[in-house]
Amino acid sequence: MDTELPLSRIRTIMKSSLNTGQITNEVLFLMTKSTEMFIQKLTEEAYGRVKDDNTLKYKHLSQYVQKEKNLEFLLQIVPAKIKVKDFKNILEIGDGNSSSESEDERQIK
Amino acid sequence: MVERIEDLNLPNAVVGRLIKDALPEGANVSKEARAAIARAASVFVIFLTSSSTTLARKQNHKTITAANILDALKQLEFESFVEPLSTDLEAYRKAVKDKKDKAKSSSATAVANNSSANDEEMETEKTS
Repeated sequence: MDTELPLSRIRTIMKSSLNTGQITNEVLFLMTKSTEMFIQKLTEEAYGRVKDDNTLKYKHLSQYVQKEKNLEFLLQIVPAKIKVKDFKNILEIGDGNSSSESEDERQIK
Repeated sequence: MVERIEDLNLPNAVVGRLIKDALPEGANVSKEARAAIARAASVFVIFLTSSSTTLARKQNHKTITAANILDALKQLEFESFVEPLSTDLEAYRKAVKDKKDKAKSSSATAVANNSSANDEEMETEKTS
């Protein structure tokens, strides 16, 4: 059973931020396969939003991430983009309403 | 240990290939979209590891098991991953076992006849 993604890199990521104990070969294999499947599904599903030119673009991904509940963990990673002009409008509107302002700011990439 | 932040990135070429394989013939992916998918995949690893670790801790285990990962996937609403991954896992376990058996039998033929009784003893120990 082979994996496409390098096991060593997946191990590094697994150990990066958590107090993860020992990682067995079997667990490392399964995590790597899970990640490959994640890439595949995300690509397929986001591509479902492509309408013209057969090209998967950032906006398709961010739209898909906004919509799917199980991708909530990606909201900060693949944020929706807005134009600077629109952002300025939001800031002006938000002047008297600072709570929504910080929220909108975080959406800017 | 992570020395550089790039160590948390997955290799672009491999991610690009996985994306290409998932797309229909003749479809393209923008550079920005590809980078976003790669970033999302790294975060997925951290997210799934964290959830699996929590499940392991609940059972008072320090080490994550394959079952913890499958349970975490269900909990995180990736149920559709569980069945194909279980199949992969079975194939992996079989491959590891076959490799072990092969190594055992080749080492068994390498040693002289008079020590074959020892090997048999080891074998019964393993299977029990």
